[in-house]
Amino acid sequence: MFLRLVADSFGRRPRHKLLTGAALALGMGVATAALSVALDVGDRLAKEFRSLGANLVVTPKADSLPLEIGGVDYRPVNAGAYLPEADLPKLKTIFWHNNVIGFAPILDVRAMALPFSREGRQLASWIADVPVVGTWAGRAVPLPDGGEFHTGIAKTNPWWRIEGHWFSDDGRECVVGRALAQKAHIKVGDLISLAVGRVTKIPAPFKVTAILDSGDPEDESLVIPLSYAQSLAGKPEEYRKLYVSALTKPEDAFARKDPKTMTPAEFDRWYCSPYISSIALQISEKLSGTDVRVIRRVAEGEGQILTHVEMLLWLVTLAAMLAAALAVGASSAASVMERQAEIGLMKALGAGAATVGFLLAAEQLLLAFVGGGVGYSLGIVLARLLGERIFGAAPEPTLLVFLVVIGLAAIVTLLGSAIPLRRASRIEPAPILRGE
Amino acid sequence: MTELRGNNRAMFWRILRRLLGANRGRLFVMLLALGAGAAVTAALLNLQVDAKRRLTTEFRAFGPNVVIVPKGSLSSSSETLPQSIIHAVPANVPSGRVTTLSALYMVASVSVPPSEKSVSAVVAGINPLSFTQGSRSAIPNRSVPSSENVCVAGVRFAKQVGIEPDAELVVASGDRRESCRVANFRQTGGSEDNRLEIDLRAAQRLAYLPDRISMIELIVPGTPAEIQNYIADLQRRIPDAEVRPVRQFTEGEARIYNRISGLLTATVGIVLLLTALCVMAAMTNVAIERKMDVGLMKAIGGATRRVVRLFLAEAALLGLAGGVIGAALGILLSIVLGKAVFGVAARPRLIVYPVAVGLTMLVAILSAFPLRRLASIRPASVFRGEA
Repeated sequence: MFLRLVADSFGRRPRHKLLTGAALALGMGVATAALSVALDVGDRLAKEFRSLGANLVVTPKADSLPLEIGGVDYRPVNAGAYLPEADLPKLKTIFWHNNVIGFAPILDVRAMALPFSREGRQLASWIADVPVVGTWAGRAVPLPDGGEFHTGIAKTNPWWRIEGHWFSDDGRECVVGRALAQKAHIKVGDLISLAVGRVTKIPAPFKVTAILDSGDPEDESLVIPLSYAQSLAGKPEEYRKLYVSALTKPEDAFARKDPKTMTPAEFDRWYCSPYISSIALQISEKLSGTDVRVIRRVAEGEGQILTHVEMLLWLVTLAAMLAAALAVGASSAASVMERQAEIGLMKALGAGAATVGFLLAAEQLLLAFVGGGVGYSLGIVLARLLGERIFGAAPEPTLLVFLVVIGLAAIVTLLGSAIPLRRASRIEPAPILRGE
Repeated sequence: MTELRGNNRAMFWRILRRLLGANRGRLFVMLLALGAGAAVTAALLNLQVDAKRRLTTEFRAFGPNVVIVPKGSLSSSSETLPQSIIHAVPANVPSGRVTTLSALYMVASVSVPPSEKSVSAVVAGINPLSFTQGSRSAIPNRSVPSSENVCVAGVRFAKQVGIEPDAELVVASGDRRESCRVANFRQTGGSEDNRLEIDLRAAQRLAYLPDRISMIELIVPGTPAEIQNYIADLQRRIPDAEVRPVRQFTEGEARIYNRISGLLTATVGIVLLLTALCVMAAMTNVAIERKMDVGLMKAIGGATRRVVRLFLAEAALLGLAGGVIGAALGILLSIVLGKAVFGVAARPRLIVYPVAVGLTMLVAILSAFPLRRLASIRPASVFRGEA
C-alpha cells in the first residue's frame, strides 16, 4: 500500500516534478562534472609536465668531477667513470616502471669532423674539437614481459626541434646542431667523417639526416648513435650520463622525510607512492654503482604547481556542490511547503505524523535518484567533452563519483524537505483544511 | 494624471512589499538559493581571474627562463659581456619583478688548506650569491653572512674535495688567489652540483676580468606572450648581446599555462552555467506556486502587464538582495580560499561584484518568466485548477 501511495503521488503534478527534477539533474550534473575533472586533473597535468623533459639524472657514483661550463664537459675522455649500457633495460623493471616514460644515455666525446657534400666533394678542412654527443634516438628496449619500450633523446629533451628525421640507432647517420651547420655550411644529406686522434685514412662518413634546433649548447654539437660514439671514445658498451623522464606525484611533507628515519610501514607507503625521491631510490637499486639525482628545477616546480592547481579545482568542485545543494534544497523545500493541504488531508484520514513523513520522504528520494541519475549522466558527458577538448583524453567514469553524487542528491533533497516536512507533519489537520 | 500615476506607483510598491513579506519561508528559501548562486559565481570568477595571474608567478619555481649571452658566442669561447649591461634590463613586468643573476665562469684549482692537494673545478662568480635559492641546504637556517668571502659548494664538488661546513677554501688561478668560507651547499641535480660558487668580484679578480661577466640569467614572470615580448624588447635595448629564451622552460611553461588556463576557464564556465540553470529551475519551481496569486490579481482587475511587471519586479528585487549579499560573501570566500591555496590572499577584482549581482538578477528574472504565460490565462481557469 505504501508503495502504491508513493507511486501514485509521484505521478501527480508533473510540472513540479519536472522542475524539481531539472534542478536536481542540473545540480548533480555540476557536481559530477566538477568532481570528475578534479579527480582526473592530477594525472593529466602530470603528463603535460613531462614536456619539460627529464626530471632525473643518473651518473656514475665513482665519477670524477665534471668540468661543465655551458653544458660542455671539458674533462678528458679517460677521466672519470662510466656505466654499462647493458644495465639500462633494468630501468623498466623497477616498481614504478610504468611511470618511466623515457630515458636516454649520453656519451660525450670530442672529435675532428670533415664535412663532405652529398656528392662527395669536401666542403672544408678538418674542424677540430667538435663536441660529439652519442645517444639513443629511437631505441626499442626489450621489456621483461616480452614487449618493447621505445625511448630516446626526444623523450627526455622534447623541446629539441629537428629539421629532417632522427638517425636510426644502428645507421651511420648523424644530426648536426644548427650553429655548427651554419658555421660549416652543412645541410641535410651531406656527409661528415669523424676521427679522434691521429688520422691515417679518412673514416667512413656519417650521413646528416637532420639539423637540430635546441636552444641549448647542443646546437654546436654533432649527435650520433651511442654505439658510434662509444667506438670513437674507445668505451664500448658504456655511457656516462643518463636522463630519465618519470611521471611523479607531487611531494608533500611525508614524501620529504628521510627514508632512513621511517618506520617499515611508512617506508612501504613511501616506496609504493610515485614520489620522485622513491623512484630515484628504486633506480639506484637496480642500476648498481650509480648516483641518481633529482633535477630539482623541473621536479619541484612541477610539484608545487600541480598541488596548487589540484587544490584550486577541488575548491571549485566544493563550491559547485555547495551551490547545487542549496539550490536543490531550496527547491524541494518549496515544493513541500506547498503541499500543506495534502498533508492535512492525509492526517485527517488518520495517517500518523511518521507515516506522512515517510511517504513524502520516499517520494523525494525517488525523485532524487531519478534526477541524480540524469544529472550524473549529464555531468559525465560534460566531463568527457572537457577532457577531450583540453587534454585530448576523456576521464573514465568511476563508481566512486556515481555513489557520491547519488548520495549527495538524496541527502540534499531530504535535508531540504526535512524542515518543512517536520513542520507540516505536526500541524493539526483541521486548520489546514479550513485554509488557515 | 500625474497624481494618478503617482498613486499607481505607490500602490505598486505597497503590493510589492506585501508580496515579499507574505510567505517568510518561501522568501528565505529563494534568497538562500539566489545567494548561493551569487556567492559561487563571484567566488569562482574572482578565483579564476586571480589563478591565471598566480600561475605566471608560480612558474618562477622553474628558475631562469631567459639568458643574455655574448653575441654569436660558442659555448667553448671565453667571450664575456660588460657587467654594466645589467642596467639595461627592465626590472619590472606586469606580472611581477624580474630576478637577475650575473655569472662569470672559469676553471680554477681549489684546495682546502693546510692540504696541498688541489682539484680542478668550475668556479662560478655569482651576483647575487644566495644561500637558500634552489638549494636543499644541509645546514638549515643559516644567517646570511655579510662579508664578501663566503661561497656555496655544490654537493658533488664538496664530496669530491672533501669539504666540511664552514671549511676555508683557497681558489687559485694563475698566480692569483682568493680564499672563502663555505657557508652552504647546493644540490640541484644540475651542473651547480659540480661547481663552487663565489662572489662575482672575487671571481673577476681571479680571472683578471674586472667588470666582465659570462652571462646573465633572468627569471621573467608572465604569460607566454608577455615573456616573448619581453625578450624582443630586451634584445632591442641591448643589441650587442644575444637575448635567448631557455626553450626547455619557455616552451614547457607555455604548454602548461595554456592547458591549465584552458581547463580552469572551461571548468568555471561549465560550473557557472549549470549552477545558473539549476538556480533558475529551483526558482521557477517556487515561482509557479504563485499561480493563485496571479489569478487573484487578475480577477480583481489587474491588467496583465501590471501583474507581470509586479512579479518581475519582485524577482528582480530578490535577485538584487540575494546577489548583493551572496556576491559579497563569495568574494570574501575567494580571498580566504586564495590564501589557503596559494598562501597569498587573492586580490578582489572589483569588476566581479557587479557582474555576479547582474547575473543573479538575470537568473531571478528569467525564472519568473513562466508567470507571464500564467498572467495571460483567464483567472477562472486558474482558480478551477486548469492552468
